[in-house]
Amino acid sequence: MSLQLEIVTPHGKVYDETIDSVVMPTTTGEVGIMPGHIPLLTELQPGDIAVSSSGTVVHLAVSKGFAQCIGDKVSILAENAISESDINVNEVEAAMARAQDALKNAKEMSAEELAQLETTIQYANIQQLLKKKR
Amino acid sequence: MPSTKEIRGRIKSVKNTRQITKAMELVAASKMKKAQQNASSGQAYAALLAEVLANVSGRIDGIEHSFFEEREVKTRGILVVSTDRGLCGALNSNLFREIVKIKTAAKYVTIGRKAVQFVSRNKLDLLAEFSVSDEVPYLQVKQIVEYMIEKYEAGEIDTIEILYPRFVNTLVQEASFGKLLPISNLDDMINGLRGKDAEPYQESLDDRMLKFEPDPEAILSSLLPLFVNREAHQALLNARASEHSARMVAMKSAKDNATTLLDGLTLQYNKARQAAITQEILEIAAATASNG
Repeated sequence: MSLQLEIVTPHGKVYDETIDSVVMPTTTGEVGIMPGHIPLLTELQPGDIAVSSSGTVVHLAVSKGFAQCIGDKVSILAENAISESDINVNEVEAAMARAQDALKNAKEMSAEELAQLETTIQYANIQQLLKKKR
Repeated sequence: MPSTKEIRGRIKSVKNTRQITKAMELVAASKMKKAQQNASSGQAYAALLAEVLANVSGRIDGIEHSFFEEREVKTRGILVVSTDRGLCGALNSNLFREIVKIKTAAKYVTIGRKAVQFVSRNKLDLLAEFSVSDEVPYLQVKQIVEYMIEKYEAGEIDTIEILYPRFVNTLVQEASFGKLLPISNLDDMINGLRGKDAEPYQESLDDRMLKFEPDPEAILSSLLPLFVNREAHQALLNARASEHSARMVAMKSAKDNATTLLDGLTLQYNKARQAAITQEILEIAAATASNG
């Protein structure tokens, strides 16, 4: 038995593979899904998705989103997702530095811009953590 | 009759113009191709979003959410999507004609330099202006939509609409309104997301009850903003495709006009040259005859 995992972002389908199991961070705690899981629809938190297939574990960073598990298909709807091997540490650090710089001058900024920056930082943070874990 | 030198000068400048417009046409054509690809890349996301929404809405009756609340429209909130640069035919002026038609009170949020210029020149109520880069990153759009949703919830505006040049085909772009909020019918909205040519929705093969975490209401209320974001994102992608195709067409006709002009000028130049030669021969012949 195996699972089908797809991760879809507004810019297209970024991941579509057959896997053994997946662990993902939801707003109510981490959820592990194996074949035969009950149908589930849940809200995801920004974090790290661990995908295991044939003995190896691959990590992916996702931002806020939703996960739907029906039958043997797990679909993740996220705003952003990146696989651990694609994370470019320099780029992430640069993005984070930019965002933090902007935060310092946050006085004239609206609440949305702040929220936007925080999302950027959160996502960058996850990517960094994931990379450092290796 | 202008001298051959003058005509030569004009021919040169028209040739230059033709070369420039030709280059711009090629650039626009390649950008258009990219924009059209981008516009269709969001399809998978829309389909999945529709599926999740359908699953949730089936479990909730009598949804209560501020997005569904139909209130009296005092002030419309309109997001105008224009281009940053001109040279794209009547694309922007078609949009602005729609704005002129609006007689009720409205507040505007703009994307693109042209719209800001228009709105401020006409002393309309401008809430905010944004710029979105060419590849339309989702996060930039999200930021704009969240700003508008905040104004909507605060009661400053009673609708959220988007005015953009809708891409019909390469030659035709239509200024059209899309309504984002309030959402009048959840089912229509789900069908709209799924698109016209999608296969009909299938009940899942798994007949066990779907479990929601934390609960359907919470999931729905965080899903709805995603829906609005994605609609706006799609409209913007569409507007970009329109922009580049309008520019391509405008540049193509400019190039064709230059070619026609060039043909006329070349003919004129040859005539002038021939006239000069004939003149000279006449003069020589006359001189020889009088001498002999």
